[in-house]
Amino acid sequence: MSDGERKRRFDALFASYSSDIVAYCSWRAPSASDAQDAVADVFLTAWRRLDELPRGDAARVWLYATARRVIANQRRSTRRRKALEERLAVEASVATSTDPEETLVHEALRRLGSADREVLLLAEWEGLSPAEIASVVGCLPVTARGRLHRARRRFRDGFEELSAATSELRVRRPRAAVEGGS
Amino acid sequence: MNTTESFEALRRANPRAQPGFAESVEAAAHAVRARMADGTAASEPQTSFPRRRLVCAVVAALLAAAAAVAALSTIGSRGAEDATAAVKKAASVTAASAERSGTAVVRITHDGKLWAGTTIRWHGDDLGVRSDAPSRRGRAGSELLVVDGIVYGLDPDAGGWVMQGKPENIDPGSGTTPDEYLAAVREDVGGVTLRRITASMTGLIKRPLDDGSTVYSGTVAAGLIARESGFKGGQAIRVLPFGLVAHDEAADPSAPLQAAITVGADGVIREIAVTWGSSEATWTYTVTYKRLGTTAAPEAPANARPLRDRSP
Repeated sequence: MSDGERKRRFDALFASYSSDIVAYCSWRAPSASDAQDAVADVFLTAWRRLDELPRGDAARVWLYATARRVIANQRRSTRRRKALEERLAVEASVATSTDPEETLVHEALRRLGSADREVLLLAEWEGLSPAEIASVVGCLPVTARGRLHRARRRFRDGFEELSAATSELRVRRPRAAVEGGS
Repeated sequence: MNTTESFEALRRANPRAQPGFAESVEAAAHAVRARMADGTAASEPQTSFPRRRLVCAVVAALLAAAAAVAALSTIGSRGAEDATAAVKKAASVTAASAERSGTAVVRITHDGKLWAGTTIRWHGDDLGVRSDAPSRRGRAGSELLVVDGIVYGLDPDAGGWVMQGKPENIDPGSGTTPDEYLAAVREDVGGVTLRRITASMTGLIKRPLDDGSTVYSGTVAAGLIARESGFKGGQAIRVLPFGLVAHDEAADPSAPLQAAITVGADGVIREIAVTWGSSEATWTYTVTYKRLGTTAAPEAPANARPLRDRSP
């Protein structure tokens, strides 16, 4: 591949998938700065290995898989912070969100195991099929499909439970205020 | 509370729908592109340029760009920046205007002839989707309504409305489920798709019109407009916003397509037009927004019969 062709292919790759990789890194990396670091690392890896990159949508899956490895390496290199980081990856959004529904979503996600959360968000936020998820996380498609089914069920149950609890609180609070005032 | 509600809430929490996401992507794009364009990476990372130093440089650029979009002034002309900012602002204004209700008229023409068309109206969680391309045999006039979480369809054989039930309970046999289709349409009527397209346009040119509106023209990669979604005839297909199948260059994610966005004098996007193909065979895809915030809610058909009544 000539330099011009390499450059054109990289530009097309970046134009097509940079928003996907920015989004993925934003929810997967432990902090905004780590996410930005990861995005840069992913595309620099893509540039270096451009000749090996698959064509078409498989390139998108390749970028997700690379981003996943980059973020895993980030975590390994900062092992002492690992437990905190894993928690922060989801909780940071909870802490900063003022939208009650979004807070419920993040709380329901936090209740999932990390493997369940990952396949669920790859499907729901990144729009990957079970076969693509399998390529990204390195498992069989049938395994990914099973995990996804389980994750969806657990998320729905958790979200419904949290919603019901929140609704109950909303109903109780006015009554408590009246009782307290009388 | 049902499955649809919980998953709709999850989809609404997608980072792409968060304020500032488009800016983050744009900042990342500009920063990495700037590094590639200035020859730093293009002349390449392996040996001549220490990798860590390059990563640090890119990250520094990313951070700087994310912190202050003004830092991008070194990349393009002032005019291009103004156009980019204006398009971004129009996308935000339009998404806000469309949040409650609206109508989108979507058309694909091939060599000037109508190829496919759909009109989508939404009001809160209720939707109406009507196929209205006269040349599509068997499709023209088909309509789908979602009112209070129940799907209604026109019976293609006997006519009249059929109540099909909740979208998540409808098994299409294969391909995209109604639930998935409706989730995609809801993403398209919201700001996610609009922001993704407008944030990715490059080489913007501004052209004011006599009626006070402005046309912003530029290039956008097909992959950012048409996303891979399901199968048709055993082949993976890419689908343009609002569910129309992409053809030719539009189905190649790396192909650059010509896009033009018309912004009204009130700052709201009136139309998105995307063209591709040769002069002999030109495709044009348009989305025209109407009655944003004032579209009436679709009503459940009074005479809809239950699906089981169709069985012999």
